[in-house]
Amino acid sequence: MRRVLAVVCLVILLAFAPPSLLAAEAGEPPSRDVLDSVIELIRSGDADLLPVALEKVRGGLKGEDFTRELAEVVLPGLERSQDQAALLAALADRGDKAALPAIMAMAQGPAEAVVRAAAIRGVAALGGSDEVPFLESLLSGEAGTVDAARGALVAIRSDIVSPRLAIALGDEARSGPQRLAIVGILSERRETSALPALVAAAVDADADVRNAAMRSLGAMGGPEQIPGMVAGLLAARTDAERSDADRAIVQVCKEHRSKNLAAAALLDRFKAADPAAREVLLPTLARVGGPAVLEIVDGLIASPDAADRKLGLVALARWPDATVKDRLLHLVAQASTEEEREMLLGGLIRIAPLPNNSLDPAGKLALVEQTMSLCRRDQDRGRLLERASAIRTVETLRYVLPYVNQPTLAESACQSIVELAHQRKLRDGNKDEFMAALDKVLATTKNAEIADRAQRYKLGKTWERKKQ
Amino acid sequence: MAFDLNSLDAPFIALAGFDWGADADFFKSIDAAAVAAHGDASLRGELEKRFGALLAGSTSRATKEYVCRKLAMIGTAVSVPALAALLTDADNSHMARFALERIDLPEAAAALRKALGVVEGSLKIGMISSLASRGDLQSVAAISNLLGGDATIAAAAAAALGTLSTPEAAAALAAAKPAGDMAAAVVDARLACAEAFLAKGDRKAAKAIYSSISASIGDAPKTHRERAVRVAAKRGLLAAAE
Repeated sequence: MRRVLAVVCLVILLAFAPPSLLAAEAGEPPSRDVLDSVIELIRSGDADLLPVALEKVRGGLKGEDFTRELAEVVLPGLERSQDQAALLAALADRGDKAALPAIMAMAQGPAEAVVRAAAIRGVAALGGSDEVPFLESLLSGEAGTVDAARGALVAIRSDIVSPRLAIALGDEARSGPQRLAIVGILSERRETSALPALVAAAVDADADVRNAAMRSLGAMGGPEQIPGMVAGLLAARTDAERSDADRAIVQVCKEHRSKNLAAAALLDRFKAADPAAREVLLPTLARVGGPAVLEIVDGLIASPDAADRKLGLVALARWPDATVKDRLLHLVAQASTEEEREMLLGGLIRIAPLPNNSLDPAGKLALVEQTMSLCRRDQDRGRLLERASAIRTVETLRYVLPYVNQPTLAESACQSIVELAHQRKLRDGNKDEFMAALDKVLATTKNAEIADRAQRYKLGKTWERKKQ
Repeated sequence: MAFDLNSLDAPFIALAGFDWGADADFFKSIDAAAVAAHGDASLRGELEKRFGALLAGSTSRATKEYVCRKLAMIGTAVSVPALAALLTDADNSHMARFALERIDLPEAAAALRKALGVVEGSLKIGMISSLASRGDLQSVAAISNLLGGDATIAAAAAAALGTLSTPEAAAALAAAKPAGDMAAAVVDARLACAEAFLAKGDRKAAKAIYSSISASIGDAPKTHRERAVRVAAKRGLLAAAE
């Protein structure tokens, strides 16, 4: 019954369909006149009309013969390189593989850089596995060609790209920049089959390759890659590289869908590591946090060995949330050296106002007050006052305001007050208190930017933070 | 269930004395009656009778506007004379057209055509616009005759002919001798006709228009508008040739 109904509907539709539609459906080839008109417009070099013609190349006039005519006759005959590049882009969008041989020839030939780059993009759009070796060979060419080849290898539809590039990545004869480009391609293709190659590249002799591989693993990796990433972290030779590698590992352990497994894998590597490696890994482990890690940290802090204790304290100071606040408060009070005290206090100052530190705003402010009572230096007090502005409540304003009267802390307090006032909802909801506080800031601060901000907020205006 | 007509007496008395700024909530029962009138010829007839009386009386613009909005929903040929009488009234012509545009009966179109020959200025532009919106092919000749007159009215006539897009409309536009801003309106209308012909499968007619426009601009457009028209004509020519 349904089939009969469908046939009846189709007959009715065809009866009322316009002739043009029927001709198109029947696959009627375009007339020679219209093809000639399009070619004439392309050859005219008319900036207004070229897009009109290319629109037809992209989606209008079907047929392999026309594609070949455009690619083999019209394209090489165009005088201006920008017109050639535009036609190449249109042929790529047309999606007809009949253009591929001519486009491939142009990509291989001595064309101008802009034309060659467009041809390489065309090869990526129309080509497949057969064209991958050619594109791969371009990675060792000139800079402009390498960029185009890199984009083409990211875009081309082929399942041999990642395996081939994985092998190429391990080829020590390839230069650092080439291996770096390969890591970028593998990373952008986001194919999991490339992960072993990226893990291997995480310990590459070239620092740029190592860095790029670790960044890719941070975005693509999972628990299985953690041992390799740990090797990458241990292979890092500078603090900056270690910091990047640390960030990549923490990213996997905190953002991957199997983040708990990743964190467990990291813990396993830590337990199996030698003392020197443990020293490097513990701060990373601490940034991941969790009860199992805290147990290890507690053990180290309780150790009679001074080096182990210091390692534990460093880890605790880098903890990601406020679950360790009582430990830190206790340890600050009992610190045996000023250096130890400052480090732990730094941890408290950092975690107290963190947005997701497991405390409510009142709890955060209470921790700020407790931490303030432990500070001995004005620079720590100032830092804490500035950090307090992350607790966006009127109670924070009330807490910070009296410090404007203390000359050594006045600027930090003023900074904190304008940060709080930047929150329009908070400011408008407590207008009287904020207006009075901003008046006090204006009467106190010597900092032109703070004064400008205070003035703006008083007038109900906003302030645009300078981009870093 | 039959609508209680007695419940409308008080709202209709209030409507007769209504003006902007007063509480319109009182007319909710009239709104409900207008909705209920769909499929209830008797109720519709009663409402049209009462609305007609309000349009004919010395009621405010606010009252007449409210009535026109209701008649746009439920009006029949019965209401056309009362609405037609307002077409020549500068204050109420717009709302009367609003109703007549939506009453899908030949009497409504005839009233608009008749008024087209009577009114002047912006009211005439309104009639042209309403007839085009209705797709009233019988008005093509009358609207074509306006292409040679006042420039503002001629531009509105050109736009309307572009909307109506009949062969006669296209011929009138092709024969027009426009100047200044009017020329742009005629070209736009001709392009609209060509697109309509193309959509209907009449490539020959479309191609003739596109060719004529393309030739009139030539290969050296002087203004941004000429460039845009040239591109539109070339695109059309290619589409017509496909």
